[in-house]
Amino acid sequence: MMWFDRVFRHRQLQRDADEEIRLHLEEREDDLVEAGWPRERARLEARRAFGNVVRVAEDGRAVWRWNGIEDLIADLGYAARQLRATPSFALATTLTLALGIGANAAVFSVVYALVLQPLPFPHADRLVAVESVDSRDGSQPAPLSYPTFFEFRRSNVLAGIASYRDTQVTLAGGGAARVLNAEIVSSNLFDVLDVRVAAGRRFVEADERVGSSVAIVSHGVWTSQFGGNPNLVGRTITLDNQPFRVVGVAPEGFNYPAGTRVVDVWVTPAVDASANTAQPITEQRGARMLGAIARLADDDTLDRARARLDGVAAALARTFPDSNGNIARTSLVPELQRMLGDTRTAMLVLWGAVTLVLLIACANIANMLLARMADRERELGIRLAIGGSRGRVIRQLVTENLLVGILGSSAGLVIARLLLGTLIPASADRLPRVTPMTLDWRVLVFAVVLSLLTTLLVSLPLAVRVGRIDFGGALRSAPRGATDSRDRVRSLLVVAQVALGLVLLSGAATMTAGLRHFTHRDLGFRPDHLLTFSVAASDANVPTVRQIQFTNDLVHALRAVPGVTSVAGSMALPLAGEHLHLAFDIPERPSPASERPGASFAIVTPEFFDTIGATFEAGRRFTDQDDARHPRVVIVNRAFADRFFPGRRVLGRYIEPGATSDLDPPDGSTRRKEIVGVVANVRQEPLGHDAEPMYYLPYAQLAWMTPPMIVRTTGRPEAAEADIRRVVARLDPGAPVHDVRTMAGVLADGVAGPRFQTLLLCGFAGIALVLVATGVYGVLTYAVLRRTREIGVRVALGASQHAIVGMISGWALRLVGVGVAIGLVGAVAGQSIVRRTLLDAGLSLTLPLAAVTALVVMTSAVAACLPALRAASVDPTESLRSE
Amino acid sequence: MGTHDRKDLFPGALEMMVLQILQHQPMHGYALVQQIQKRSKDLLQIEEGSLYPALQRMLKDGRVRARWGVSTSGRRVRIYEVTAAGARHLSQEILSFEQLLEGIRLVLAPVKA
Repeated sequence: MMWFDRVFRHRQLQRDADEEIRLHLEEREDDLVEAGWPRERARLEARRAFGNVVRVAEDGRAVWRWNGIEDLIADLGYAARQLRATPSFALATTLTLALGIGANAAVFSVVYALVLQPLPFPHADRLVAVESVDSRDGSQPAPLSYPTFFEFRRSNVLAGIASYRDTQVTLAGGGAARVLNAEIVSSNLFDVLDVRVAAGRRFVEADERVGSSVAIVSHGVWTSQFGGNPNLVGRTITLDNQPFRVVGVAPEGFNYPAGTRVVDVWVTPAVDASANTAQPITEQRGARMLGAIARLADDDTLDRARARLDGVAAALARTFPDSNGNIARTSLVPELQRMLGDTRTAMLVLWGAVTLVLLIACANIANMLLARMADRERELGIRLAIGGSRGRVIRQLVTENLLVGILGSSAGLVIARLLLGTLIPASADRLPRVTPMTLDWRVLVFAVVLSLLTTLLVSLPLAVRVGRIDFGGALRSAPRGATDSRDRVRSLLVVAQVALGLVLLSGAATMTAGLRHFTHRDLGFRPDHLLTFSVAASDANVPTVRQIQFTNDLVHALRAVPGVTSVAGSMALPLAGEHLHLAFDIPERPSPASERPGASFAIVTPEFFDTIGATFEAGRRFTDQDDARHPRVVIVNRAFADRFFPGRRVLGRYIEPGATSDLDPPDGSTRRKEIVGVVANVRQEPLGHDAEPMYYLPYAQLAWMTPPMIVRTTGRPEAAEADIRRVVARLDPGAPVHDVRTMAGVLADGVAGPRFQTLLLCGFAGIALVLVATGVYGVLTYAVLRRTREIGVRVALGASQHAIVGMISGWALRLVGVGVAIGLVGAVAGQSIVRRTLLDAGLSLTLPLAAVTALVVMTSAVAACLPALRAASVDPTESLRSE
Repeated sequence: MGTHDRKDLFPGALEMMVLQILQHQPMHGYALVQQIQKRSKDLLQIEEGSLYPALQRMLKDGRVRARWGVSTSGRRVRIYEVTAAGARHLSQEILSFEQLLEGIRLVLAPVKA
């Protein structure tokens, strides 16, 4: 008989067998009657001769039984009836587990999408990010310069290495001009990534030469800007007023560098080589602005590749000591790791947090199961007494837990779905790779494995308990009130819950305190009522004098906008986390070229400090007089003064930054700039603990394209946007206004990552707190129920209600106290993890720790209150009579 | 899944007898019981019910097949017949049973002598 017969004809076979037995009995009976037996006796005799009808039928069925699956189904059915009989228990366990599994499944899908999923390129594990290691900045990785990159590529020590650099271009033609995210990439990028273009061709080496201007557009731009025109390849488009021939269309979904920034168009270093600057950056050894990605050969390793590349870097350092002296080493890390940066650790910390939630949930469920088991001890005792094996009983109990596990994880997946539905929209544009995230089969498998593990985990104490059931004792009226091993297990579970909950809460509190610090601290200026935006002047390749004129006109026109009180330009914007970094000389303390000091700087218009509301400490602000015809000046911040001129008067001293303008006379006499003012530490980074040294140069003395603008408004800053767009359109119709954000928005974006993590952590901590409260409540309620008789005796003997409440709550507080003591150790460790990996606000952590400890103790106290009061209201006569 | 063979017969004996009888003539369970008792001259007392799990086992192993039919006395009955596989199995079983008997006989013979 084939297996499918057994599956599909199963019921038929059983019906046949039963029918056959019935007919057999009937025939025997009839034969006996024919032989002269009375009908009644004949029926009995037929049955006697046949044997145990039920067992025979059962044995017949057993022949067909399929590896115990039917047993399992029968057990599940029994378990379902048991659960239906105790709906509140079923609801409580299912919900608890659903919270634990739901949080885990949601975080798992985030972790998978972000951290575990490989990059969408062939053999992505062979892709590595290449950076220089700058021995001056404490071995921080640094970008490459073009000449260094070209040497690396020429050396052939890696299977392939490509460069990339972010920029923006204005796409003109076909309606309003639009600012696109562009990437200047070496011609071999698509080869290194091993990505085929959807149409046209990849870049070739000739595309890098001066004068060449070709582009590959993204699939998105191809469809949105060019209507998916199949003949786009070969046509010419206008980027930044220059004609570019489209040679290819990238495949759908391709984005490099991978991340939150969506690249619209790729162009080659020919753009940088042809720029009309004195010396193109493709030839400047000191202009380090390139990211680089390399592919390792199949038989290569990271360490061997780095060793070979270090050899090339060391040779360059010897040949060009001025520019390469301090970058004689390189750093190679997997590309995915570079892209994720701190996100990876943050995600793993969150994963740890939800694991704690699940453990607490498990402790809760184990507690509920133990309590229920105590009620069923009589039933189980009977089953053991009449010969049921302990193994069979344990299997039945595990099956019941498995049913809870199935229900809980199904509900958990619903919760995960809801969580993701609210979390993803809140974070999609700020976390890389988070958008394609769904509940796919991996999450399902994860949830199933998790529910199996939890089932096993919560079944362990039950199995131990069954092993100890004394079935004689279970059948006798059990002595109630004595504390036995079961109470010890339950107490331990409460202690563990409190400890784990405290760890989680203290992590969340540390994050919250840190986030609050970063959003409320003194930024060195007033971020309210500020609107920032960028203007891409339609022709960037105009003489510097005309650029300055355009910016001046823009400032004046914007000042006339109603509701705008003050206008400034600043490259780069404060708080945006953008840095222009430049080395300088201090004439009074000369140092060798490779050890020159450096700091971030910004190029600002005269009204900058007043517009952003920065506190001025000494000296003067920039004025309209600080232009190319007047002596060169610089304003530094407090951190700069303290770092480079500690304990000395700064005003009137000089620094010599390397940046030059084509307005400067060729003799270099204007390199020396006098420090004329000291300003408070205006934060350039939204996070970060120490204020970074900054110096500010006047725009009119170092003009460099139109800077991003900042306006201060009297009303809501967003309201000024329409007027601003109108003003810009009047001034330069082809200039798009983009990146319009309030300064509050800039700050919010800057702390978006930590805010996301804090939100999640607080959510998990909240769940944990609820679970701990229900755990304490459950254990105490049950204990009071079991000790009713003992309490009755105590009351009968004269114990006051006060004493009873004291007894119960004292016991509860001892448990919580032990839990808190253990939890504090873990909490301190948890805080140090948060500080090391997520958010270092440099705050004292005693206060948050004390706060959450108080919270846990108070919550537990409230949870303990009800059972304690119930104990106090025990009526001695009632309780003694009930036995 | 414990199935209970009658311990008063050696394992497989009931099946061998059933196959032997069915090979001679297909019949239903009740008739089989009577055949076994008649042929053994009531020496073998089998509990009638124990036949049915054995029949189910043989059905499952493909040694017999069953169909509903009508007996000579006009009753609705389930008639079993031996399949080719069942016939092969039977001849093998008989062979090894005879070898077993022969072995036992040889061992027992000297003691008797």
